Amino acid sequence: MQWVKVPLILFAVLVLVALFRQRQRVEFRAGSRVLALVLVAAAVVSIALPGIPQHVANWLGVARGTDLILYLLVVVFVLTTLGLYFRLRETETEVRTLARTMAIERAVAEGAPGEPVGRAAAADREDVDPGQPGGR
Amino acid sequence: MEPNADVWVVVPTYNEDPVVGEVISRLLEVFPNVVGVDDGSTDASAEQIRAAGARVVRHPINMGAGAALQTGIDFALRDPGMRWVVTFDADGQHSVADAEAMVEHLRSSDLNVLIGSRFLGSGAVDMPSSKRRLLRLATVFERATSGVKLTDAHQGLRAFDRWFAERLRMRTADMAWASEFLQRVGETGAAFEEFPVTVAYTEYSRAKGQRSINSINIGVDVLINRILRGQR
Repeated sequence: MQWVKVPLILFAVLVLVALFRQRQRVEFRAGSRVLALVLVAAAVVSIALPGIPQHVANWLGVARGTDLILYLLVVVFVLTTLGLYFRLRETETEVRTLARTMAIERAVAEGAPGEPVGRAAAADREDVDPGQPGGR
Repeated sequence: MEPNADVWVVVPTYNEDPVVGEVISRLLEVFPNVVGVDDGSTDASAEQIRAAGARVVRHPINMGAGAALQTGIDFALRDPGMRWVVTFDADGQHSVADAEAMVEHLRSSDLNVLIGSRFLGSGAVDMPSSKRRLLRLATVFERATSGVKLTDAHQGLRAFDRWFAERLRMRTADMAWASEFLQRVGETGAAFEEFPVTVAYTEYSRAKGQRSINSINIGVDVLINRILRGQR
């Protein structure tokens, strides 16, 4: 077994994690859009000129054109899935924030309007002498 | 000031209408400020909480125990008079006397956080032994992932001060909140102690209790969160 594969794979995974942590940065957004366009162009070319994948595969040392396409597919699939997973996490967080805000606002409104949220605050207010400007 | 008027008790609730009313009533005997957070229950939990005399915050959708807790804490933070928060289960397992004792201990010390432990003393009454073994394992896991050494990793009865409440900001929505809580204790350098508590495993709560296999979910969630460290 080629042991160098282990650190290489580990490195690739770490790079991936680091990338996803930085994902909000504009450069990466632009980069992924460019990549998408490149992939579409490559797809069009491969369909129009079926010999090209095989040619590129040979150049890269991969046995068949279809194998090359398969490897690319795996990479794109993994990136897509991870991207969606993170987007979903963000959306979940947004939903939770919305739901929480709604729930709390309703509860605060329920406790008769003007009534403070807690008893300690109520006691404070009672202690304030209305005769003194600015309270306590 | 009324005794314990500067304390808020947060009771996250999901479908506990047979028992939550009584739990709230017992709490109100000692703590005037109690908020039950109804996490989208499909039964009459919210009505029961209201009828017992506590405030109710109702999630429009079910989001999980951690989310319910954080909502309750956010609600309590709106009270400028709040100085302490206690997290208390809705199913009758926790003891009000323990909560009271924990708050007293916090008042008279410099601590920020108290975490109840079933294993300091006689705390676990009628705990199923498989659960006991699983909790031991959880403790080891917690020590490894959060750097916080505890005797009881997943205990829901906790008390903390306003300072910690402001910093807690839990992202975890589900049962893994207890792990994120510990992580925050480590991150903020909060002064904490464990406090012996008694948890009563009644037939009702045993039937409803957290399924042991859920620990796999919790474990994975904790690790993912550690890797991401709050990044989006």
